[in-house]
Amino acid sequence: MPKPAAETITFTLDGLEVDSPAGLMLADAAKLGDVEIPVFCYEPKLGQPVGACRMCLVEIEGIPKLQTACSTPVRDGMVVLTQTDRVKEAQEAILEFLLINHPLDCPVCDKGGECPLQDITMGWGGGRSRFIEPKRHFVKPLALSPLIAIDRERCILCYRCVRFSQEISEDYQLVLQERGAHSYVSTFDGHPYVAPFSGNIIELCPVGALTSQAYRFRARPWDVEGSGSVCTLCPAQCNVEFTVRDERVMRVLARDHAGVDDGWLCDKGRFAYQSVHVDSRVTHPLLRVDGELVPVSWDRALDEAAAGLRSAGADTGAIAGGESTNEEGFLLAHLMRGGLSSSHLDSRTGGTLSRDLHAALHAPQRQACVEDLEFAHALLVLDCEPVDDAPVLDLRIRKGIRRNAVKLAVATSRPSSLDPNAAAVARFAPGAGEAFCAALNAALGGEDTVVDELAAAAGADPAEVQALAAVLTDAGEDVVIVYGERLTHGPRGEHAARALLNVAGRVITAGHDGCGLLELPAGANGRGLREVGVLPNAGPGLTPVTSPGLDSGGIAAAAASNQIEALYLLHVDPLRDMPNRRLWKKALARATMVIAHAAFLTDGLWEHANVVFPAESYAEKEGTVTHPDGRVQRLRPAISRPDAVRGEWQVLADLCKRLDHDPGVLTGPMTSATLFAAIPFLAGLTLDEIGGRGVRWPERPQAAAWPQADGGPFGLEAPPFAPTPNGDLRLGTFRSIWAAPEVELSPALKFLRAHQRAELCPADAQRLGVAHGDQVTVSSNGSQVNAIASLRASVPGGTVFLESGLEQDSASELDAGLVEITRA
Amino acid sequence: MIGRKKKQQAVQVPAAERGQNAVRDVPRPEPQRTVTRFGHGSRVPGWDDAADLTKDPAEIPDPATTPVDAALRAEIEAHMAKYPDFRSAAIPALAAAQRHHGWCSPEAIEQAACIMRLTPGYLSAVATFYDMLETQPVGKHRVYICTNISCSLCGADELMARMLQEVGDDPDFNVRSFECLGACDIAPMASVNDIYVGPVSLEDVPVLVEQIRAGTPPLPGKQLHLRRCVDPGAAS
Amino acid sequence: MSHTILFENIDEPGLNTIDVYRRRGGYEQLRRVLSTMAPEQVTEELMASGLRGRGGAGFPSGKKISFIPKVNVDKYLVCNADESEPGTFKDRELMQKSPHMLLEGMVIAAYAAGATKSFIYIRGEYVEQADIIDAAIVQAREAGFIGENILGSGFDLSLVLHRGAGAYICGEETGLLDSLEGKRGNPRLKPPFPANQGLYQGPTVINNVETLATMPHIIAMGGAEYAKIGTETSAGTKLVSVSGNVRNPGNYEIELGIPSREIIFGLAGGPPEGREVKLWFPGGSSSPVLEPKDLDLPYDFGSLQEAGSMLGSGAIIVVDDSVPVVDVALKLAKFYRHESCGKCTPCREGTRWTVSMLERVDSGLATPMDLDIMASVQEQIIGNCLCVLGDAMAMPIGSMVKKFRAEFESHIEEARLRNPYGGAEPDPDPVLIQGAASA
Repeated sequence: MPKPAAETITFTLDGLEVDSPAGLMLADAAKLGDVEIPVFCYEPKLGQPVGACRMCLVEIEGIPKLQTACSTPVRDGMVVLTQTDRVKEAQEAILEFLLINHPLDCPVCDKGGECPLQDITMGWGGGRSRFIEPKRHFVKPLALSPLIAIDRERCILCYRCVRFSQEISEDYQLVLQERGAHSYVSTFDGHPYVAPFSGNIIELCPVGALTSQAYRFRARPWDVEGSGSVCTLCPAQCNVEFTVRDERVMRVLARDHAGVDDGWLCDKGRFAYQSVHVDSRVTHPLLRVDGELVPVSWDRALDEAAAGLRSAGADTGAIAGGESTNEEGFLLAHLMRGGLSSSHLDSRTGGTLSRDLHAALHAPQRQACVEDLEFAHALLVLDCEPVDDAPVLDLRIRKGIRRNAVKLAVATSRPSSLDPNAAAVARFAPGAGEAFCAALNAALGGEDTVVDELAAAAGADPAEVQALAAVLTDAGEDVVIVYGERLTHGPRGEHAARALLNVAGRVITAGHDGCGLLELPAGANGRGLREVGVLPNAGPGLTPVTSPGLDSGGIAAAAASNQIEALYLLHVDPLRDMPNRRLWKKALARATMVIAHAAFLTDGLWEHANVVFPAESYAEKEGTVTHPDGRVQRLRPAISRPDAVRGEWQVLADLCKRLDHDPGVLTGPMTSATLFAAIPFLAGLTLDEIGGRGVRWPERPQAAAWPQADGGPFGLEAPPFAPTPNGDLRLGTFRSIWAAPEVELSPALKFLRAHQRAELCPADAQRLGVAHGDQVTVSSNGSQVNAIASLRASVPGGTVFLESGLEQDSASELDAGLVEITRA
Repeated sequence: MIGRKKKQQAVQVPAAERGQNAVRDVPRPEPQRTVTRFGHGSRVPGWDDAADLTKDPAEIPDPATTPVDAALRAEIEAHMAKYPDFRSAAIPALAAAQRHHGWCSPEAIEQAACIMRLTPGYLSAVATFYDMLETQPVGKHRVYICTNISCSLCGADELMARMLQEVGDDPDFNVRSFECLGACDIAPMASVNDIYVGPVSLEDVPVLVEQIRAGTPPLPGKQLHLRRCVDPGAAS
Repeated sequence: MSHTILFENIDEPGLNTIDVYRRRGGYEQLRRVLSTMAPEQVTEELMASGLRGRGGAGFPSGKKISFIPKVNVDKYLVCNADESEPGTFKDRELMQKSPHMLLEGMVIAAYAAGATKSFIYIRGEYVEQADIIDAAIVQAREAGFIGENILGSGFDLSLVLHRGAGAYICGEETGLLDSLEGKRGNPRLKPPFPANQGLYQGPTVINNVETLATMPHIIAMGGAEYAKIGTETSAGTKLVSVSGNVRNPGNYEIELGIPSREIIFGLAGGPPEGREVKLWFPGGSSSPVLEPKDLDLPYDFGSLQEAGSMLGSGAIIVVDDSVPVVDVALKLAKFYRHESCGKCTPCREGTRWTVSMLERVDSGLATPMDLDIMASVQEQIIGNCLCVLGDAMAMPIGSMVKKFRAEFESHIEEARLRNPYGGAEPDPDPVLIQGAASA
């Protein structure tokens, strides 16, 4: 349903008239009159108020009993009293009750100094207790998970954490056990509370009952400073606040932004800051001397890199990883196209799309924003898993379904965690996104005769396709399609993109607010990098290039056959992040010069890099990134760079200079300004305008400068049939939220590091003689990975799913559509 | 936390040392769970338990790896079909799992959760809320003795003590004091394997325990369903 | 003095079968309602009868049904058969002996409210009664009184018996709804009231067993005629459960407004030989206690409220002079502590604190000042809770402390003299004891 508008009403608060939007809860509306009503259990982000803590009791004229301000919507003419004796007595009574069990161990409590219970007791409490019985004492703290410690003495049973688990993340692992004064927060049978968003309960807790294992006793609120920035660990680009003490990031908090993250963070975003301060981080330029990487001076490293690049010249290939900023991408393109006359640069991992298709897929009039996920009539999640690809959006989708009755349609190969919330679910064979879109397009167009055949090509059930189409057409006009970049990967990526545009043309009204397409790129700043020209076939602002270069796959092939001499790897280790690991191993081995920007020496760099520039962490960076919905966001350095680490824009600019192609930038902000000036649809943008909340460029008038492109409908050619399982199984891959070096390196998150599991259905497992938990070998074309068999009833028959992005046994070792599984 | 917990030894302090509650020493009939004390203050089961970090998170059990008895599955699915929202079947499903497993063991809850497509956490939150769902292993003979106000005015506390004494440490018995069972007209009373009997005199206790052990009807002459309405108007 | 409507020939053998019930004219009122009356007419009759809810709150039943919005969504009727107020056992006898009376009343009420789905939430302990109702539902369904197109009227009603699992709080109507939805039985914030957003967020009428069972009789005799029974504000008859220290405990059907003394002494025989009434609860353990001087109060909603108590569920608990009042208070406080759902602060902490204080009073560790604190804590609970459970403890305990203050004080003094160390248990912390041994 579209976002409703609220009218303004006037109510009387302690004798003063206050204007407020109608329907606002009194606890919030009172703030508009500069009155704070104390609350513990109330948190509007958690959904309906529960009125449990009773802290917010106020007097309302005409109602005999005191009312909870958290659950009473303001009405015009309402007369509210918050300072009467009755109210004060009630507030003191509630605090006296709450503190009966509370240990008052504030001096040794992590929450002390930033604790709502402390603040409210000071502000509203009676300052005394008549409770002389012994308090309850318990063993504390206890581990609730490796990330969270629980102190049950301090808990005031406000229900915030369990409501988060049950109503926001919907993992329903954290629950209240027992009853009455015996109630306590716990999990089933001692299982740890491990879920992608569990860390949010630490921030929600209004007392020191839930504390971060990683932050406990590291700092006091008066020791630290907060510094706002953006998390660049995934495309969701959540707004965060780094808590900094002595140039070290001590924790990450959410910086609530309704247009981005809605105030939540995933556990990777919350805890992976630890990887900023690990010993294994690269903090000096490294040069391979006699086969070993040794620290050298910046001049030496830059000179060597420049020499290598100069000698390779146009035979240089460059790949930018997703966490690179717009500025870094822009300078890389400048270096490649200007300094080396090479167009062999790419930021996508799976083949080329034409400029027109890029322009059509991301056209401002077809662009959905994050808030549209919440207020759409219908939402199609297509070939992506939000919780892995852009975790915080998963919460947004759930919120829309829960609060606004958004109709969800899920079309994926791998069973999605959103399936239980969906009005319609369709499965298709891994990699058959094109055929599926074609089938859906036919179903939406009423071409029932062809649906069956196209569905068969996609390995999908035609009835499921029809049901999905019905959801999209029947719900209402605001339809949003969230799709994964992987849909447009592969040799037939352009066909898939055209099929997708045809589907969009049928359900999305271009130019209408509240509907559109939203891509979840593979890299955190995937969208920004493409827009600043890190593509083989387009320059900054998606301008045409005279001679398109090789895409990432092409670069690998060329390097493996000695046609490319130098490889420039900006925040990417191809062995980790790119498909076709075997080819890349060969490419890296054959290249004469491999230059990398990296914070960690992952396998490919350890073995093959000639020059390694130390990369900044996201807490040290300045620059901009672009959110998948077009919001340009600004990174601000929270801490200074360790040791010899330099700003990477500066490293790139220095290299450009050495190659006689000076970009003319002297500071980070100057780089941003140069970038904005070079890109027509970002013209006039300033860092000030971006500020702390970002700017969605598709909403600015300059968006008109976005290249015009044909958005379809296109004539589609018949898609190829998905491979038929013939005893061997179809291989599907996915990259989990935890498959990242930051997770492996952060001490707190290490336990979550992904291990290869082969997910298959019980029938296939039985046929193969494989039991749950067995060690298996998955092989094709002579390469193989080891995995643990994991039986899931929801996996479609004839398919096996493996994880990519792993250090070892990554699915990218395998490059065929069908794989053989044997018990090891 | 439910079940699987290490049984902890209660600290036994001889009555003489305890300085005896001299006022009216009715034995305190609430020894439902043995929990050791930590420091001073009251004990609550589960409060001192950390999560076992070697376990996997308790997500919705996958049918592929959670075998469920067909009869139990059929019963729970039948309950789910009765309601507009299948979650309404949580209590009936747990009750069925309890009948099947003897108590709401972690396995029982996992199986019910698997059938209902809920997390075991959801169901354990429900199971621990209700008195009749047992989250610790219990004996198969349920003897609920009402010790609420009306029954205790008629000697229920003494009955409870006598019953505990008579049953001793027989593991087949689950003798519990219960809040008002809604049969104050036959106070003091007990619900014996769901059959209400009363008034139960102290002399009845050995007979009753014997009948329960033998599996014969408990106090056949004192069962509630035999009782006629006392209202003189009802007979007219 | 007794006036028999619900209990008329209640012990007739086989009344729990549909044949005997129908032979006695059962389901005839339903037939009349469905064939001759519009839903609004039924509601009007109920309003005219002056029937007030028999579960405890005493809200006018007809009015409750009239609150149901006339919108085209699924509406629900829920019968509250979670009879767990201490001292109350009237619904048990009705359900056990005349289940079809309840079912007939439910179909009539559902018809009036426009509800198409109905539930009976029966407490889990009532196993025999639940089995009897289950059997009755099957019979009624076979006979076409429940199900689709009942008696050819086009009116549909499904009926499901839902067994609880032992939680007093599920007798609170919104706690019951949460429990029926498969959650922990935590009461909900009101508003929204169940009439607007109840079960599964739909409009819901919730009525007590006795209330629903009375409805066929009201239809039979006409609302106006029923209103003539009892008093002006407390119409009709009421089933009263009398228990505690009386000679003939049990259920009695009385005309509202008769003197309480007639119930306690006339019907239930008064306290045993040689004992006097010390105090009595007029409406279940949640009602503030009354004293012997109140025995002549007319037993009706208004008179008991004026006397500072309430009629509640109609459960009279008599306590004689052999019982220390502290025992009664402690028993009650422990009950409410055990049954508090834990959702809201004052009830969860207040019940626990009250028990601790009463235990000190009982063991002589308290001072009269503790009685003041106890009284003040009860006042801090009353009116500040999410539901009425907190009040249900605070009101009787508060009334006992107030009315029997002298006995509380002498109790403390006597206990202290008997037991100078207050009966305090030495701290049996094994760690401390071990530490002491090794030191």
